[in-house]
Amino acid sequence: MTSLAHPPDAPPPARLTIDVSELPTTTFGRRNLNWWGTVGFMAIEGTTMIVAAAALLYIRGNFDSWPPRPILPPHLGVPSLVLLLLLVKLVPAWYAIDSAQRLDRAASRRWMALALLLGTAATAFRLLEFDSLNVRWDTNAYGSIVWTILGLHTFLLVFDVLETAAILLLLGDEERLRTKHYADVEDASVYEFFLSLSWVPLFLLVYLLPRIG
Amino acid sequence: MAPAPGDPHEDERLDEMHERLARVHADAPGLWGWLTTTDHKRIAKRYVVTAMAFFVLAGIDALIMRLQLARPEGGLVGPDAYNQLFTVHGSTMMFLFAVPIMEALGLYFVPLMVGTRNVAFPRLNAFGYWTYLIGGVLLWGAFFLDVGPDAGWFAYVPLSGPAFSPGKRMDVWSQMITFTEIAALVSAVEIIATVMHQKAPGMSIARLPIFVWAMLVTSFMVLFAMSTVATASIFLAMDRLIGTHFFNVAEGGDPILWQHLFWFFGHPEVYIIFLPATGIVSSVLPAFTRRPVFGYPAIVVSTIATGVIGYTVWVHHMFNIGLPVLAGSFFTAASLLVAVPTAVQIFCWIATIWTGRPRLTTTMLFVGGFFVTFIIGGLTGVQIASMAFDAQVHDTFFIVAHFHYVLIGGAVFPLFAGFYYWFPKWTGRHLGEGLGTLHFWLFFIGMQVTFFPMHQLGLDGMPRRVYTYVDGLGWNGLNLLATVGAFTFAAAVLVFLANVAWSLRHGARADADPWVADTLEWATSSPPPAYNFAHIPVVRGRSALWDRTPNDPIVVGLSTKRREVLLTTLLDAEPDSRHEHPWPSIHPLLAALAVGVLFVGAIFHPAAVLVGGALFCAAAFGWGWPRKKSEIHAIEHALEHGHAHHPPAAPSRRTA
Repeated sequence: MTSLAHPPDAPPPARLTIDVSELPTTTFGRRNLNWWGTVGFMAIEGTTMIVAAAALLYIRGNFDSWPPRPILPPHLGVPSLVLLLLLVKLVPAWYAIDSAQRLDRAASRRWMALALLLGTAATAFRLLEFDSLNVRWDTNAYGSIVWTILGLHTFLLVFDVLETAAILLLLGDEERLRTKHYADVEDASVYEFFLSLSWVPLFLLVYLLPRIG
Repeated sequence: MAPAPGDPHEDERLDEMHERLARVHADAPGLWGWLTTTDHKRIAKRYVVTAMAFFVLAGIDALIMRLQLARPEGGLVGPDAYNQLFTVHGSTMMFLFAVPIMEALGLYFVPLMVGTRNVAFPRLNAFGYWTYLIGGVLLWGAFFLDVGPDAGWFAYVPLSGPAFSPGKRMDVWSQMITFTEIAALVSAVEIIATVMHQKAPGMSIARLPIFVWAMLVTSFMVLFAMSTVATASIFLAMDRLIGTHFFNVAEGGDPILWQHLFWFFGHPEVYIIFLPATGIVSSVLPAFTRRPVFGYPAIVVSTIATGVIGYTVWVHHMFNIGLPVLAGSFFTAASLLVAVPTAVQIFCWIATIWTGRPRLTTTMLFVGGFFVTFIIGGLTGVQIASMAFDAQVHDTFFIVAHFHYVLIGGAVFPLFAGFYYWFPKWTGRHLGEGLGTLHFWLFFIGMQVTFFPMHQLGLDGMPRRVYTYVDGLGWNGLNLLATVGAFTFAAAVLVFLANVAWSLRHGARADADPWVADTLEWATSSPPPAYNFAHIPVVRGRSALWDRTPNDPIVVGLSTKRREVLLTTLLDAEPDSRHEHPWPSIHPLLAALAVGVLFVGAIFHPAAVLVGGALFCAAAFGWGWPRKKSEIHAIEHALEHGHAHHPPAAPSRRTA
């Protein structure tokens, strides 16, 4: 609680002060400075994704059919599995946020470990997913844009898995873990929501659009 | 803690506070400290010096071009060298000078103006600078090796694509773009977070200095514009390096896509350069007219409106690609509309001068030069917003004249105004007024003599980007005149550099607030100590310094053992929490070098992406991995008892 440190009965002081020494050093959500950093990077990455999606729709106008004949539409098996893993990953991400806000170390570790497991599985299957596209990046502009969208998201996915692993490592290191690091757990988990949910519209563009023309 | 009246120990306590903060915020000595610093002021000054070096280099490019065009069939350079000259000149001025130097002013002054100790994410700030430097060195290294890019600063495909630009020249261009955009993007994130969260108590959103507003709007524009061009430059790099077909018509790609992506960035880019300049003008006017700037709400709303409308005009760069009539009309209307908020700002500034008590210093001369030059550029802008007119002058020297009036008038004049105004804060000394006046008049006259004749040259049909012309077209005299102007212009810059060199040693000493100005950067010593303020100030009005009273409260209770900053709420700036900024680190530099390996290496082999990516991950791990608690405790203990882990840097002057 912040207050003017000027008791009403005391003689007027030379200088009024606002004493902030009792304010918290760990905050969550939009009260946390790092959260704004994460939001900034989501805005940057989100813009990149929107630009790539716009490029796909623009390029589509240059072809009579989508995918261009004789390229077959992409397979849906592995891509759907990856999408499912990314969405299931939101469950541990949700609980990781909750446990971080309660400063519950054991629960944070548990949920982050599960998120890491699901993220690693999604990344592994993602590497197979490129085969499902049925086209190479250098075949034509269709191949270029679908490879690029998939590649962009994979790039972010790999960094996210590495970040999750690093935070998990920190949660296991009592020598280094400080209360403020729980805000990082929350932050990383909020980013998981961005990463998984942003894939839904991109998935529709890459995989379903070719099936409807 | 509230000291009793006339407390004899107050001064002692303040001295002790300065000593402690100086120990905590000191950089390591020597080269190591130089490489690891995260002080926003040191980093911003580096940006300014580096950007000015690029400004001078690109200016020399321009002089060579003007010498070549001084007479018909000039033989100084051939077409290949000329192509490199105008490409490197334009790319440098836009990407390595104008945007970075405006960001640098923001990085230096936003934390001071909002009353905090450092910019948010200080290590990211260091990373941004190193990335920018690598991008600049890449471009200029290539140019000196005669492999500079040569397809123009907007690198239209198919000319810049693999079919018509074989070799590495345009790869250098596309990677340089990515480097500088990374730097601009991280700076934008830092500035937004600083303004959102690190404002001094009482500095509600309605009391933000207009310069801070301008940097905030600019930073939001950067987020969307720079992400777009970085994506586009990566598309181009992939077309060139791994055989994608984004812009290859034969395989379903589209050159017009490049134009859309580039100008969706490229036009907002003009406002990314111009809005901070408007912020400079709004900052200097109160100090030199002795009144708050007229129409604060109108200026703020105009700034935001410019930021929004600026995103709806990009197609006016593409009027000649064959647009549907409706689209042409829309983008003409939008381009005319964007003049309105700018005009509102100009009327507010005129009203400020009109109703104030202006002092005619060098700073104000440059503000006057800005009005005249920028308004001429704005008026030709309204002309070429019309599709019919634009079709006549497209790709002629008329356009060259127009955008130099806008960019030099709208950005470089205010920038020099800012230099004369803030130099005392940076260095503790004033720039010489005599040399400053000479600088201004040479600059102003040189500007008009160089670029005004180009309007007529354009109307006479002289195309831009031609390395020579034949005699008898009626272009000789005006070209020679423009060249004379260019050398006058260059002389002005030399006078400025001489003024800086002289003033650094012999300039009149400046105290904390030599102009009796109204914003918080003047509440601390000149130059400010590493920690900016001993006590975070409390703000009572829009003119933070003019509205303060002797008994205004100050903030106490921030740690003097670690680099702690006060976080306040978004709208009302109520104290909310304390946040620990990190110590200096070498990892931002290592991460930037890894990014360098990634993008420069990718020009030669795609595997560099994996190698650079792995190195980046290693550097990022080192960047984020915390110290052991026992180590932190030992450092804090040492700092508390006066044993700095770095030798303490003495505070230069007493702060408020």
